[in-house]
Amino acid sequence: MTLGSTTIRGNLRPKMTKDEAAWVKQELAEQIDRYKKIVQEMEALTPQREKWVADFLHRIQTRGYHVHAGNRRVIPKNEIRPRDGRPLQVVY
Amino acid sequence: MARPHIEPFVDRDVGFKQMTLPGFRKGIHFKMLSIDKDNGSCTMTVQYEPGFKQPPGFSYSELELFVQEGDLKIGNKVYGKGTYVFAPSGTALPAMSSQKGALCLAFYNFGPPSFEESDANHDKADDTQQLKIISSYDGLDWQVPTLFPQTAPGCLLKILHIDPKTFGMTFLYCMTPGFWQDNISYHDVAEEAYHIWGTSWMMQFGDLPTGGYFYRPAYINHGCFASDLGILAIGRTDGDLHNYFHHDPFSTPEENHERAAAKLARMKPALYQWILTHEHNHLPHDFEFPDDTYNTDDYDSGIHMHADGTSHSHKHSGSHSHLNTPKVSRKKNR
Ligand SMILES: [Fe+2]
Repeated sequence: MTLGSTTIRGNLRPKMTKDEAAWVKQELAEQIDRYKKIVQEMEALTPQREKWVADFLHRIQTRGYHVHAGNRRVIPKNEIRPRDGRPLQVVY
Repeated sequence: MARPHIEPFVDRDVGFKQMTLPGFRKGIHFKMLSIDKDNGSCTMTVQYEPGFKQPPGFSYSELELFVQEGDLKIGNKVYGKGTYVFAPSGTALPAMSSQKGALCLAFYNFGPPSFEESDANHDKADDTQQLKIISSYDGLDWQVPTLFPQTAPGCLLKILHIDPKTFGMTFLYCMTPGFWQDNISYHDVAEEAYHIWGTSWMMQFGDLPTGGYFYRPAYINHGCFASDLGILAIGRTDGDLHNYFHHDPFSTPEENHERAAAKLARMKPALYQWILTHEHNHLPHDFEFPDDTYNTDDYDSGIHMHADGTSHSHKHSGSHSHLNTPKVSRKKNR
């Protein structure tokens, strides 16, 4: 995490050693591969996700939407923002 | 914020690697969950081998450790699953060992993993009084969250650590069997979590099983939520957690960010007006913490980081000018 009460002293050796820099570089390269795999997997889930979204929009107009804790409110149709061709991106 | 959006990732899908960084003793294996490209701070699943031994020493970075399974002897006491350790940077921990091995999570919050053998604290160690070891399973009770708005009934918390300045927190959370919450959430802060046990479902990402993990930068939609059999998880934020709920599955992080600012103007108009009317490219002075010098430029603001290290900012959907004397209108209730 980046911000914290210890931002100044949260790391007492802010300049990485050569070994640390090499280790981090290797881990970052592997992280890119993991990220790419996640993007592919989430892309493959799109048709299923579209159904989940349709179900959610139906439920909040019938059973209700969680406003706070157990308090629910049935959302009238005119409060559902039109999709207008917007994509359903989930990983950023 | 320089960690990318990693969600979902299941650590059971990958093997352990040996920890090779100088300073660490033999017998430590890890799976990387997420790592920061700028400072090397990271979250890892860590397996200590049976017979692991480490002398007293400290980490240069603030460190949090959570025991999922096994035994970990710290000093003279043997700790089991559910143990949570918070060690400020440079604060020496006693000798550690494990007889049967231990499966842990390690959070190095401000720099790469490090271990320096020492039976004394570093000269510049952070507030060493914050060092703590908690038996979270049998030593803490489940609480109903006191946030407003609150998660749906059946989501309970045990707070492990709260940063006194940022209110960033580390917590256990559970969802009871049959939990469901029909709204979409986002926050002003990054959020990460790991499933110690159980499977939950989110509309964006599908099922997250045992060993499932995410690191999610601010303003990214998540939810609605459900869990058939319940879950036990550990979560962290890097600042004050506010639940922004809504029901637009297609909103973008940029729209969510702007909506959060609109809420601030509506809910805290005096503060919003102050920020607009003063120079705001540095941290305002705080008489309680007069030495703070960090600036918020380091933080993600409309810019999100991709795993390859690239980032890009987004234009606001509406234009704005920084006025010297803005007016924040407020309806009078009486
Ligand atoms: Fe959240």
